[in-house]
Amino acid sequence: MDIFSNLWLGASTAFLPMNLLYGFVGCLLGTAIGVLPGLGPTATIAMLLPITFGLPPESALIMLAGIFYGAQYGGSTTAILINLPGESSSVVTAIDGYQMARNGRAGAALATAALGSFFAGTVATILLAMAAPPLAAVALNFGPAEYFSLMVLGLVASVALASGSLLKAMAMIVFGLMLGTVGTDVESGTPRYVFDIPELYDGLNFVAVSMGIFGICEILRNLESEQERSVGVKRVTGLMLTMSDFKRIIAPVLRGTALGSFLGVLPGGGAMLASFASYAMEKRISPNRAEFGKGAIEGVAAPESANNAGAQTSFIPMLTLGIPGNPVMALMVGAMILQGITPGPNVISDEPALFWGMIVSMWSGNLMLVILNLPLIGLWVRMLTVPYHLLFPAIIGFCCIGAYSINNSVFDVFVMAGFSVIGFALSKMRFEPAPLLLGFILGPMLEENLRRAMLISQGDPSIFLRSPLSLSLLIFAVVVLALVLSPSISRKREEAFTE
Amino acid sequence: MLKIRNGRDFVGGVTMIFAGLLFIWFGRNLEVGNSFQMGPGYFPTALSLVLMAIGALIILQSLVVEAERVEPQRPNWKAYFLVILAPIGFGVLLSGLGLAPTMFFLIVGVATASRYANWRHSILLGLFLAVCSVLLFTRLLSLPISAFGPWVPFLGDLS
Repeated sequence: MDIFSNLWLGASTAFLPMNLLYGFVGCLLGTAIGVLPGLGPTATIAMLLPITFGLPPESALIMLAGIFYGAQYGGSTTAILINLPGESSSVVTAIDGYQMARNGRAGAALATAALGSFFAGTVATILLAMAAPPLAAVALNFGPAEYFSLMVLGLVASVALASGSLLKAMAMIVFGLMLGTVGTDVESGTPRYVFDIPELYDGLNFVAVSMGIFGICEILRNLESEQERSVGVKRVTGLMLTMSDFKRIIAPVLRGTALGSFLGVLPGGGAMLASFASYAMEKRISPNRAEFGKGAIEGVAAPESANNAGAQTSFIPMLTLGIPGNPVMALMVGAMILQGITPGPNVISDEPALFWGMIVSMWSGNLMLVILNLPLIGLWVRMLTVPYHLLFPAIIGFCCIGAYSINNSVFDVFVMAGFSVIGFALSKMRFEPAPLLLGFILGPMLEENLRRAMLISQGDPSIFLRSPLSLSLLIFAVVVLALVLSPSISRKREEAFTE
Repeated sequence: MLKIRNGRDFVGGVTMIFAGLLFIWFGRNLEVGNSFQMGPGYFPTALSLVLMAIGALIILQSLVVEAERVEPQRPNWKAYFLVILAPIGFGVLLSGLGLAPTMFFLIVGVATASRYANWRHSILLGLFLAVCSVLLFTRLLSLPISAFGPWVPFLGDLS
């Protein structure tokens, strides 16, 4: 079987001592930021990107991926122990997990979360390994028109599944695309919107932009509603699950994994949507639905498996098509570009060691997290006692140095400061920053493919409708939009996010 | 008579239109070309028009749909000012003062943005992070910044 030789290649990359170490560091950092509320994976990955410039591409991406799924684990720990979800994807875990902890079953809840996540992670990794090569093979035949339509579909779907106003999310995508045009135009070499600033000829740096709109902006919002946290946690005992617990979680874990894997692949999906949807589903169909909200173990098992599965499978469109579905994936695309790798269907054939190494490292990372997390819970809880008024100056400090180190110039620090203002103003008007970043990353690619397609068709826009693949992608985009706009679905969507 | 029912969205829509106009204005010298051979100005101009259209729709929506009542956050101007000023100060001071003093002043300065800050903690944190960042960034990752810049007497690195 081909897949085994591929996985073997991946294992020989992922299990290099250096890559194991970076994977471990990533998981550890990820768990830490997952535990700390007010510091998300997007901001952290943006902050650490400059540090990974010096690493080989495999190690850099393995570490960044580790941060992402480590955060899913860390977020659930605090959700269960102190009812404080460290990440948005573990919000629903807090409902039943915290009740379990109050009933003295914190250990069982944590073990359920860890085992469910590990199982889901394993399944999603296998899925990724199986689905990626055929998908990439299809995408290799894509011409500029198909690529353009695919990106349009990706952007449309990512707004459809995001929370909040559809119009505003579309505005953010378009604004992001516009920001992506700053810099030298690739085709004609004409500088655009550079105002004679030499640093701008390469475009706005995406690390500085994302640190501004995610990192610094988050701090501004947190300082508005700053409160001292009081943390009172009892000792966690009884990590073992009983036989009856096992019987109760098998079905929810399987369902959560299936739903999460599916939702993760969709653009705009990923971990958060997966956890919300699977909790809502479990609440409807579980035989113990009466216990939900009072400490039902299914209410921990299902969303925790779903969010981890969703986190893993959201790598599929990014790795095979080069299309990011969420801001973290957008940063990974950026990291690849910075490492000199062109994201897209060629990655599998051009960089097999990187591709398969990353996939295997996801599995080994999940294993590390299970082994790591349970014994280290005491440490994570103690981390929570670090007060925010000591944390945020440190974050700002590291963002500043991080921005400086991109090009060793203070210009990027100013860009970061500027975008923190823009991001904050936008968030005050209830515009979500995530679609902006997606648009910003995809902007140059979208423009290039549009211009190429129009050159091929000699200015006839019907090229997008003549190719059957491109046409079906566009139809799909329209259907998605229509579905979101239809009243019954939009009510359901609202429900899913409020529940 | 039309009434603005959602002030926040109204401002948001106006901002989008304004952003579109800005891009069109600053890109007015870019050649637009035609759809066959698109010039550098084609894509940004088209996007600006789309953004303005969406902005208009948002404004329209703000006139029709009532805003839900949300308790507004009390603005914390001091925090906004300090947090946004901090990176700018960092950028201005870095080349002159060097990494260690800049980091120290940044931390101590920005820490006062919090309601719970106290001087002793901030100064200790500032010293700690100054030392850490010098070790990590100038020694381990060898960024081309010196720990102390030319403005610092005796310690400063004039080269």
